[in-house]
Amino acid sequence: MRDVLVMGMGTSGLVAALRCQEAGLKVTLLAKGVGSTHLAPGTIDVLGYDPELVENPSEALPRFADRNPEHPYARIGADVVARSLEWFSERFDGYRYTGSVDENFLLPTAIGSIKPSTLVPETLAAGDLRKGGRLLFVGLRQLKDFYPALTAQNVANAKTPSGADISARAVQIEPPISGEADVTGLALARKFDDPGFLDAVATQISALVDGDEAVGLPAVLGLRRPREVWEGLQEALGRPVFEIPGLPPSVPGVRLHEILVAQFESAGGRVVVGAEAVGADTEGDRVTAVRVAAAARIKPFVARHFVLATGGFGSGAIEMTSSWKVRENVFDLPVMGVPADGQRFSPRYFDRQPMGRAGIRIDDSLHPLDGSGRRLYANLTVVGACIAGSEAWREKSGEGISLSSGYKAATTVIEEAM
Amino acid sequence: MKSVQTEVLVIGGGATGAGVAWDVATRGFDTVLVERKDLGEGTTGRFHGLLHSGGRYAVKDKLAAEECIHENLVLRRVAANTIENTGGYFVTTPWDDPAFGDRFMEGCRDCGIPVEEIAPPDAFRAEPRINRDISRVFTVPDAAIDAWKLVWDCAKSTKEHNGKILTYHRVLDILRTGDVVRGASVRNELSGEEFDVHADVTINATGAWAGKVADMAGCPGVQVLAGKGIMIAMNHRLVNVVVNRCTMPADGDILVPIRTVSVIGTTDIRIKDPDEPDVTQAEVEQMLDDGEKLVPGFRRARALRVWAGVRPLFKDVRAPETSDTRDVSRSHALLDHEARDGVTGFLTITGGKLTTFRMMAEETVDKMCEQLGTRRECRTSIDPLPASRTGKFYWLGERLSKREATMHEDQLICECELIQRRNLERVMKQRSSTILDDIRRAVRLGMGPCQGGFCMYRATGILHDVERIDSWTANRSLRDFLQERWKGVQPILYGDQLRQARLDDWIFHGVLDVEHLPTDRLEDRAEREHP
Repeated sequence: MRDVLVMGMGTSGLVAALRCQEAGLKVTLLAKGVGSTHLAPGTIDVLGYDPELVENPSEALPRFADRNPEHPYARIGADVVARSLEWFSERFDGYRYTGSVDENFLLPTAIGSIKPSTLVPETLAAGDLRKGGRLLFVGLRQLKDFYPALTAQNVANAKTPSGADISARAVQIEPPISGEADVTGLALARKFDDPGFLDAVATQISALVDGDEAVGLPAVLGLRRPREVWEGLQEALGRPVFEIPGLPPSVPGVRLHEILVAQFESAGGRVVVGAEAVGADTEGDRVTAVRVAAAARIKPFVARHFVLATGGFGSGAIEMTSSWKVRENVFDLPVMGVPADGQRFSPRYFDRQPMGRAGIRIDDSLHPLDGSGRRLYANLTVVGACIAGSEAWREKSGEGISLSSGYKAATTVIEEAM
Repeated sequence: MKSVQTEVLVIGGGATGAGVAWDVATRGFDTVLVERKDLGEGTTGRFHGLLHSGGRYAVKDKLAAEECIHENLVLRRVAANTIENTGGYFVTTPWDDPAFGDRFMEGCRDCGIPVEEIAPPDAFRAEPRINRDISRVFTVPDAAIDAWKLVWDCAKSTKEHNGKILTYHRVLDILRTGDVVRGASVRNELSGEEFDVHADVTINATGAWAGKVADMAGCPGVQVLAGKGIMIAMNHRLVNVVVNRCTMPADGDILVPIRTVSVIGTTDIRIKDPDEPDVTQAEVEQMLDDGEKLVPGFRRARALRVWAGVRPLFKDVRAPETSDTRDVSRSHALLDHEARDGVTGFLTITGGKLTTFRMMAEETVDKMCEQLGTRRECRTSIDPLPASRTGKFYWLGERLSKREATMHEDQLICECELIQRRNLERVMKQRSSTILDDIRRAVRLGMGPCQGGFCMYRATGILHDVERIDSWTANRSLRDFLQERWKGVQPILYGDQLRQARLDDWIFHGVLDVEHLPTDRLEDRAEREHP
């Protein structure tokens, strides 16, 4: 019998599954689709705004958790967040992540705002604006998802805490792609894997760079061999090069996904994609099986431990009907923090949105709780975007919560299983 | 101070005002139209998109029904490109009296509306989603009409005839010398510049706001009640013909397939201020329940956006004095202020419906000619609008076929509405507006399932390049768009559309962090806060 069934393969599910498998447990990773990594920028943002800019997450986290006792970080704990980041960084060689929990990078977004991120792919790091710098943003004519002129102007006007000087300008190049005016980021990334294509692009850019400018490009520098592509371009241009993540599907997100899946599978884990968990069998406070819709029938998946990583409202794991009833779709777990009629959303878009924090309440070992704070299932842990209490996209905490909760759920499962 | 001289000043850029300008200009008068916002931004752009056959009024209001079928046939000739010839059903649901169908048939025949009863199974074959308990089905020549395209085309024709269209120009006051109205003083809302428009005749075509403008001209008592109606656009075409309940006009009685969506409407609630129509949850619930009666499963379909429009319902406190004005029908009101108030050079046209906008304009301009003592033939029922000169109806595959033809040469900026980059850039240059919401209405940008989640970032970048605006203006434009969009989506965020909204939150906050984009120069902000 399998030891652990993980449902969902975004960052939280992948991390939980990988840690359990590497600890010697037999793990199956079930997923409806490829997961939210493909939508995210591929950075691990732990905490960016509280609501002011956070420069040092390890310093900010304990206070943040104290003031927000219902936030996932209050359950996970700042020390676990730090340990999960270390564990994560060590998983990557070749295509590496860089950074530490003691500082946030300030990286330009694809529109030129500056966003705090904690762990970032090495290929993004040279865009860090904390010490200012001279930047050249390079657009690729065939890619409709990057506008270097707007990005450069916004970056040039950006105000960082240090007040360091930033200068930025933009150029547009036309990579050699015949007969296609509209090329997606993923298609471009595959083209960059080809050394001939990379050489041609490098030649075009080198004619346009000036002085000691660092060169920023949309995050499409290779899919299979991103490190070689990035290093090759830096070498050819003789200067730092950095990528800027953009609209989904995200190339750095796909890289992250593929690396973690490969590690999980090579450790002996089993992945079943196209299988949606639709219900569960329980006995008292134990889950005995999860019912899964696959190949036109419902099949029970039995395991000793279950990890719910199916996501929140964004993935459809938690749904609200047109009669405003809210439901978690696998275990029918109570969804907490759903605002009353008339208060679900603020009419002002940039206000905090009460509905954003609705989700599943958990205890310190990530088991789900009912309304009175009683643990519902002893062999079920809940991770990632379905946990109540965060407005992750505002706080810039989504991947941090996913990584650290996935990490901690694995700790719980390993302790209980061993 | 600069001033502008013209023969005719039209106030209001909805269908009525644009129609009047089109009529006036094509009769050869010098024309200036002023609109305080963008064309079609008020009531015109906030209806369900129905070109009435008249069937809706065939029992209750014969005159309105006759006007509708007359205009329906005229617009099919002169505004074909704005019309999709969907046809319409009137259906008897289990909640409707089957006997009403007989009165309906008779009413349609009396008014000259082509009507035919068909067997329900034939209707179910054509429209498999409609309620199988429908007992009677009647066909009428209803159609879908794109109101924005229509007003833009009226504006285009006006300009071709040397008329001027001044959007974002608010009327501050009506200029009056003695008993003669001589134009209006206006302010450019974008630049702040104020100037006078001197005109021989001023036409007040401001719909629900007509009372306010008439007051400015010193013609009190023009009371226009605002009737709020909400509409919800559903993702996909749940039906491909217009489906009406076969009953007396009521709330939630129509589902209109238009472009890539279908729109359910509507309610009718008196409100005080036409500028602030809000949407309540109870109204949303009512529309969804009514939709369920026409198309079972409606509540499980995806709602994209909800909005409220404001019908102008005319009530003249001086009614006895004008009740003999033969031009006034029950559905719209043409006020001759010379007869009514002893004020010359000023006419008010209000009320009515989009289907009859051209007829309203014709009546108004006929009256104007009569006052000026001249006769010029109306051209609007004869000469097609510029985009309709081929006489071809719009069809659903129109954009897709264009896209397929240029797939490898042009970028697709809005995947939902199939808007290509070159077309978007052309429209941005034409409009020279830095307001993304104006661009949205002009090309339907961001009006599909993702509600701008993907295309609005692109459109901001393109607008920044095309208009050569600074980054602060571009940022503001994007943020204003997101706020405007939120108004329309937040009351219907459930099911898949809530998922979509969450993805859009990730894009705009998690990936782009638009919340922290600077929207003005620090020095400008300092000056505003400490002048």
